[in-house]
Amino acid sequence: MIEALRKKAEELLRSNTVDVIYGYGEGSTPERTRPVFITKPEDVNKLIWNKYCVYNLTTYLKRQESRKLGKPAIVVKGCDAKTIVVLIKESQIKREDVYILGVTCNGVGEPLATKCKACDVNTPRIYDDLIGEKIENKEIPFDERYAELDEYEKLSEKEKWDFWQKQFAKCIKCYACSSICPLCFCDRCIVDKNQPQWIDPSAHPRGNLSWNVTRAYHLAGRCINCEECQRVCPADIPLNLLNKKLAKETEKNFNYRSGYNIDDELAMATYKEDDNQDFIK
Amino acid sequence: MGKKIGVFVCHCGTNISATVDVEKVAEETKKNNPGVSYTTTYKYMCSDPGQKLLRDKIKEEGLTGVVIAACSPKMHEHTFRNAAIKSGLNPYHVEISNIREQCSWVHPDKPVGTEKSTDLVRMMTEKVRKDKSLKPIKVHVTKRALIIGGGIAGIQAALDIADGGHEVIMVEREASIGGHMAQLSETFPTLDCSQCIMTPKMVEAAQHDNITMHTWSEIESITGYLGNFDVKIRKKARSVDLDLCTGCSSCWQVCPCKKIKSEFDMGLANRTAIYIPFPQAIPSKPVIDRENCILFKDARKKNIKPNDSKVCRKCIDACPIAPVKAIDYNQEDEIIDVKVGAIIVATGFRELEDGLYGEYGGGKYEDVITGMQFERLASASGPTDGKIKRPSDGKEPEIVVFIQCVGSRDPSKGCSYCSKTCCMYTAKHTMLYKHKVHHGHAFVFYIDIRCAGKGYEEFSQRAIEEEGATYLRGRVSRVYKKGDKLIVLGADTLTGSVVEIEADMVVLASAMKAQDDAEQFAQKLSIQYDKDKFFSEMHPKLKPVESSSAGIFLAGTCQGPKDIPETVAQAGAAASKVLALLSSDELEREPVVARVDRQLPPVFSTCIGCFYCQKVCPYSAIESEDIKARDGSVIKTVARVNEGLCQGCGLCAATCRSKSIELDGFNDEQIYAEINAVEFN
Amino acid sequence: MAEETKFEPKIVAFLCNWCTYAGADLAGTGRNQYQANVRVIKLPCTGGIDPLFLIKAFERGADGILVSGCHPGDCHYNSGNYHARRRWNVFRPLLEFCGINPERIQFSWISAAEGGKWVETINGVVDTVRALGPFEGYQKINTIGPDASSESSQT
Repeated sequence: MIEALRKKAEELLRSNTVDVIYGYGEGSTPERTRPVFITKPEDVNKLIWNKYCVYNLTTYLKRQESRKLGKPAIVVKGCDAKTIVVLIKESQIKREDVYILGVTCNGVGEPLATKCKACDVNTPRIYDDLIGEKIENKEIPFDERYAELDEYEKLSEKEKWDFWQKQFAKCIKCYACSSICPLCFCDRCIVDKNQPQWIDPSAHPRGNLSWNVTRAYHLAGRCINCEECQRVCPADIPLNLLNKKLAKETEKNFNYRSGYNIDDELAMATYKEDDNQDFIK
Repeated sequence: MGKKIGVFVCHCGTNISATVDVEKVAEETKKNNPGVSYTTTYKYMCSDPGQKLLRDKIKEEGLTGVVIAACSPKMHEHTFRNAAIKSGLNPYHVEISNIREQCSWVHPDKPVGTEKSTDLVRMMTEKVRKDKSLKPIKVHVTKRALIIGGGIAGIQAALDIADGGHEVIMVEREASIGGHMAQLSETFPTLDCSQCIMTPKMVEAAQHDNITMHTWSEIESITGYLGNFDVKIRKKARSVDLDLCTGCSSCWQVCPCKKIKSEFDMGLANRTAIYIPFPQAIPSKPVIDRENCILFKDARKKNIKPNDSKVCRKCIDACPIAPVKAIDYNQEDEIIDVKVGAIIVATGFRELEDGLYGEYGGGKYEDVITGMQFERLASASGPTDGKIKRPSDGKEPEIVVFIQCVGSRDPSKGCSYCSKTCCMYTAKHTMLYKHKVHHGHAFVFYIDIRCAGKGYEEFSQRAIEEEGATYLRGRVSRVYKKGDKLIVLGADTLTGSVVEIEADMVVLASAMKAQDDAEQFAQKLSIQYDKDKFFSEMHPKLKPVESSSAGIFLAGTCQGPKDIPETVAQAGAAASKVLALLSSDELEREPVVARVDRQLPPVFSTCIGCFYCQKVCPYSAIESEDIKARDGSVIKTVARVNEGLCQGCGLCAATCRSKSIELDGFNDEQIYAEINAVEFN
Repeated sequence: MAEETKFEPKIVAFLCNWCTYAGADLAGTGRNQYQANVRVIKLPCTGGIDPLFLIKAFERGADGILVSGCHPGDCHYNSGNYHARRRWNVFRPLLEFCGINPERIQFSWISAAEGGKWVETINGVVDTVRALGPFEGYQKINTIGPDASSESSQT
């Protein structure tokens, strides 16, 4: 698979189809990988692919530093590929401006990452080239996909409040979560708007709640469950639980799953006349 | 530098002061709100002396912001803002604190009302602090109106506007204007002949100096906004040059394709391939039906230009116009551009397709006809010259069963609404029938008889009492054929019996439906439509002829079922709205519009161009704009609000994650200040 | 009269200009009394209500919030209330997931003709929130300093 990847990358660079390959390279230890940006055909051997390629390289699509390198080909797993669908839908990138090197994947992380436990995109749903044997994507029932939420949803109101207060209390407002998120691409995050200052920027419990709730809400109908926010959080706040809760509500209420179909209208930019309103008096 | 805010607390006689201690509200406000430099109370702020007080104090005290604590802003916001203008204060620095409707009138306990009033005043004071001067938006007005649809609604509106001295462009997709009304026989409740009242209006419209008519034409696109619409009209290829043709009839007399069902006669008669829809058509010039003309069929088959086909050239040969014939087989669609300031949509309805009622034999038995077909049978200019003959064998029907509410009030067939006209036209049909077939008998199955209208109830009673129609309250379950009779099985719920009638003909009072393409058309115009695809008025009571888009008005049945007088009244109302609009050179609009922020380089705007705002905007008011560097390269693509289209709902602002788009008059700082001032004790 | 200790809930209501605000006015015109615990903030449309507004209201000490606008199909701006409804469909469960009782944020459709419904609704919200008691959790995080933040988990 790695050979196929390197060969394809070399071909793309030699033919000037793309200017740069965003891929995974070796890290300081075998269990670590790091992003590499290959601009010369002779460097393609730096590309690797293994089960430690956990993170989502599409976050580099939003960064000026990597954008400066020119048109990219990007190595994506099925989950990461969903990001590109959202980025296209949200006018952040044009389909023809990115070359998608989809890799088939049986799960990453050691132990297996949470996001892989109910994976239904072993083969990416969008790609220009597919690297690796095609894996038949499974259909996973709704409940199973959101099973992770069960134990938290079962908590009482007070238990929930206490749990999250405890979690949010750890927040140091480092914004690693939004920096890594490939879909947090605003030039100015709402937390940085100071006239007026809707969200208290200090690491105070009040601002921590509004920040974390708002961050999650701003990903409603958008988050593709790459779990990068949670992975990078230095305080180990289970941020993806919030994202996942919103994904569940979006799917339940609007029958919408972010990043799955490029033709679907963005869930939070449309409506149906018969949307759920059982909570409205 | 802070604002100098003046707070004026109104007693409203005793309406406020009975349950709110207005002096205390003024006092507390002054004491606790730095920046409030002047407070007073007054018996009636809205009175002349009250307004004078406001005007004087703005000047004397140098106020830069004003809160009036009084009745609902819906009552006098306008009054006080105008007063402020007279003192040179931008009116958008004036806010109303609603301490009457939402406080003194609903909370009888004085300390409670006083405390709440003080809170409400504080919230508004904080908002005023953040108020910005806004300038009314001026919009240039193109003094020309577009009328879409040439039925009675369109014609009436066109005439009214044209008589008012403004240019009118009328677009009709059929080959002639006239619409459904031209097809009708006689009209209720007076039984005057429809064509006798319609045709003169058609002629008047056609000859009016201010009216330009485009028949056989459709709207290709509409862009722009109130006062400034850009319209593309597709003039479909008629194959006949309207300037050259004299309507002499030579061509259609020789046309060999004579077996085409006439749309005008509802399929009860035939027409030729080159034809005028009906004798009184306007323009009285033919069109070639390219689908059915054998020359065009041949050209399509051989993939050649129509004029190169040699199959049949009878019409062009018969055309007496020389040297250039009036017929042009190769004519192509033409797109023309017009600019208009206002639009009236009068696109009418269609009758429910008869095939939908298989149980009534609709679309299956020739002698089961629709209401519109009966109109043609009864019309003096119709296929039977006004004699009631059944379509199958031309026999005079001796028993006719009329079934009401066919489609209407039947959610299972997709129309839950009442078509409103059928009770009346069925009563009319029974009369016309009895007038023409004296010994005949009319039966009517109905659910309810709904004849609200001047002279309507009397009319339907006449049908029953004087003209001898038998009305049976109940539904028909089935119509089937037995010999040359139609057996109608129904219920008479008043006697609780099952009724079986051997009829010669059955007439279905079919529902009025929205045009098939109503939905796409509404989207083309960015106007709203209801669940039945009728176009929605802006407000069901107070803005019944305005569509949801400013500058676009509705007339006639495109908005919902209605009869002729109602249609004419609505068309007149729409026309008067258009006339008012076209009477000024410039329009002023409330400047409550959204705005995308602009920043210094290198950011330019915090907008990142995700265009959620564009997707949620109900008015297509969000455009995209490229911010370019000096060399012309695009630095950033961001959203931009078209002020002319924006209606100020703020949907975009609440959708924007980075809050890069805000609504003037309700901007972020204003709302924040208001919420922040909710200081509960 | 209420005793010192009696809890009076603090309610902030975000109303659309065209329907519910007018409905509340109508209740006034009809002199229909209701509990005075509500402070109204008027916006053109429920579609213009950002969830941040609701968070801010809690931060300012609200015990309960009402958001109310035009019935489906009646929106003055055609679809503002539909978009708003979508928003609340996800925002409400999110707050619930974080341990905020959904009864503290209520939604209603009240037309300009429904003065009676406004009275019922606002009384309903006040009563419900009164039964829930003060929103102590939020008030605590509003007041405590950063270094005391860990305390909140112990209550």
